[in-house]
Amino acid sequence: MKIGIPRALLYSIYLPLWKTFLEELGHTVILSNHTDQNILDNGVKNCVDDACLPVKIFHGHVTALAGRTDIILIPRLVSVYPGEFICPKFIGLPEMIKHSVPCNPGIIIMNFNARFSMDRGYDGMRNLGRELGATKDLVAQALDRARIRQAEHMRRMEAEPGFNPVRSIDKKDQKPPRLDQGIIGLIGHPYLVYDRYINMNICDKLNERGYGILFPENIPAESVDRACNRYPKKLFWSYGKRLLGSGLCMLENKLVDGLILLTSFGCGIDAFIDELLIRANHREYKIPLTTITLDEHTGQAGFDTRLEAFIDMMEWRSRYDNHVPTYGTGVYPGKSLI
Amino acid sequence: MTITFPHMGQVYIPVKALFDDLGVPVVVPPPVSNKTLEIGTRIAPEMACLPMKINLGNYIQSMEKGADTIVLTGSCGPCRFGYYGIVEQEILRDQGYHAEIIILDAPGRDPRDLLRKIRKISGNSPWKNIIRAFIQASKIVEQTDKLQGIFLRKRPRELNKGQTDDLQSRFEKQILQCRGSKEVMRLIRSFQVKADGIPERADANPLRIGLVGEIYTLIEPYVNLNIEYKLGYLGAEVHRGITIADWVKTHLSMDRKYKKQRKEKLKKGANYLNLCIGGHAWETIASTVDYADAGMDGVIQILPFGCMPEIVAESIIPSISRNRSLPVMTLTVDELTGEAGYLTRLEAFVDLLSQKKGTVYE
Ligand code: SF4
Ligand code: SF4
Repeated sequence: MKIGIPRALLYSIYLPLWKTFLEELGHTVILSNHTDQNILDNGVKNCVDDACLPVKIFHGHVTALAGRTDIILIPRLVSVYPGEFICPKFIGLPEMIKHSVPCNPGIIIMNFNARFSMDRGYDGMRNLGRELGATKDLVAQALDRARIRQAEHMRRMEAEPGFNPVRSIDKKDQKPPRLDQGIIGLIGHPYLVYDRYINMNICDKLNERGYGILFPENIPAESVDRACNRYPKKLFWSYGKRLLGSGLCMLENKLVDGLILLTSFGCGIDAFIDELLIRANHREYKIPLTTITLDEHTGQAGFDTRLEAFIDMMEWRSRYDNHVPTYGTGVYPGKSLI
Repeated sequence: MTITFPHMGQVYIPVKALFDDLGVPVVVPPPVSNKTLEIGTRIAPEMACLPMKINLGNYIQSMEKGADTIVLTGSCGPCRFGYYGIVEQEILRDQGYHAEIIILDAPGRDPRDLLRKIRKISGNSPWKNIIRAFIQASKIVEQTDKLQGIFLRKRPRELNKGQTDDLQSRFEKQILQCRGSKEVMRLIRSFQVKADGIPERADANPLRIGLVGEIYTLIEPYVNLNIEYKLGYLGAEVHRGITIADWVKTHLSMDRKYKKQRKEKLKKGANYLNLCIGGHAWETIASTVDYADAGMDGVIQILPFGCMPEIVAESIIPSISRNRSLPVMTLTVDELTGEAGYLTRLEAFVDLLSQKKGTVYE
């Protein structure tokens, strides 16, 4: 069977798992194209106004797959780590699609809920495999192989600073960034920082000015957890925690010369996470930081101006404040990050 | 220690009585007003949910009146509400306020933490008194909801326009003068009798509209621009599935029976949404179906801008509306929502419903 997967939301993180699993079961996986104007327009048209940009774009990708596949896979990520959740919109995503996109062919839902334990999280995939007619043994085997691929993907994200999962999925080389100017931390959800259409190609623009980039995924999970311990209550959104913890970790260990927070207009999680990060920076670290908000009306020109202004400010400050960035210092001692 | 807490509709009535009974000084925040929202909007993140902005305004207005300890409830996801307290604490700290925020999280595996906090805000009263005060408070919650129910029923039916509102505002003035649960209870009961006695028009056959949506927006009249009054005046009887009692029971109590009933009700929406996605979106869907079953004339969904779970519900509701030919309108409110435009939309919706009803009855 030809199964379509929308190239949107968290696909950049989980695609190796999903794709390997389905292929091992003997299906063909078809991805929608990279986000473009057409997909964006269709998304905006087929989604409630109040939704955030990434969710609208997901709707666009679903329409882009219509007619090209036998069925479209919609992941329902409830929780990707025990005791944690992700944004409520991910939990209701299949329903949003069902009721707003005229879906032809139909959709199948793949649940992932690791709230109680990591292994039970995969039950959703096991069930899906059975629904697709595979034997129990085949499902188990496919899942094992998929998990190995996924683990490798995750490992590379943590181990290789600036690793871009989308380039890896597209089987393109990881461009070694020119590091002569410094490093910028780009804090945002994967579907913002890795989707070059949504983010106005910010990564290339930063590279062109000579900056390397650190993504939230580049910071090891333990460091993220440790950095978040300063708050009296556990953060229960996995991605919120990653954004906040990786940002704090970059600040604490002076891994970056500046921080750019990418957020989409109306994002409920970022409203809180960015607020905490900005306050912590303002109080203790005081490195150059800016927030760039993206929505369907964001224009190329305005965006570039903001980015240029930020870089200029950063360079001015490093020249006059005698702020010496410490490249190459690891997140944990004994292990060089760059 | 002087306690304060965020406003949410009439929650202040039982809460104040509770602390009065325990002899703990308590400041009821001034009623939510433009000023409150202004303060909140100034210091909260722009994209924070509206309820949080108003909470912050409440705290600061209460602290100006001497409060130094803020009590609020929490939850553990998936929605933002569970993290309000932490973000609020950070904001207040940077603003130079040193009030302590105590978050009462629903008891998980270890209830000791919750018990310790309760003990603390009770001024270390003996457990016997604490339990008694909580029982009284929950009775007040029930009776307050009941009184509200009478007001809602009467408003579209009253013989003399404005009588219900008069009575309600008199009640709201007098209740603040009461000290302790006994006085509060006596006043509520006397107003229940008075409200019951409001004469009705004989020919009253009001439209029936169900309200669904995000709980804070539903319950706090300032935020929903007094939707219940407005609809009442336009001649519609308003039904609201979620009351303060529901909120208390889901967030704070371990009432098994209630939880079971709730599950039963939620099953009604199973064809459209069959799991909790945070906030009250599941209730929103289930109640909409429920209202269709009950033959309501229409449903209004109301949510604060950017409310994540309700946005999911918003995309599902058109299907229910279509399948059940039930008119549904969604209202999103934020700090810029204007009174005039809002009223126009309500009027238009009520017009639509009465036309529909007219043709049905012909
Ligand atoms: S986390 Fe933010 S951007 Fe992502 S889906 Fe939720 S609201 Fe949208
Ligand atoms: S349900 Fe809506 S208003 Fe309540 S915390 Fe969540 S996003 Fe905010």
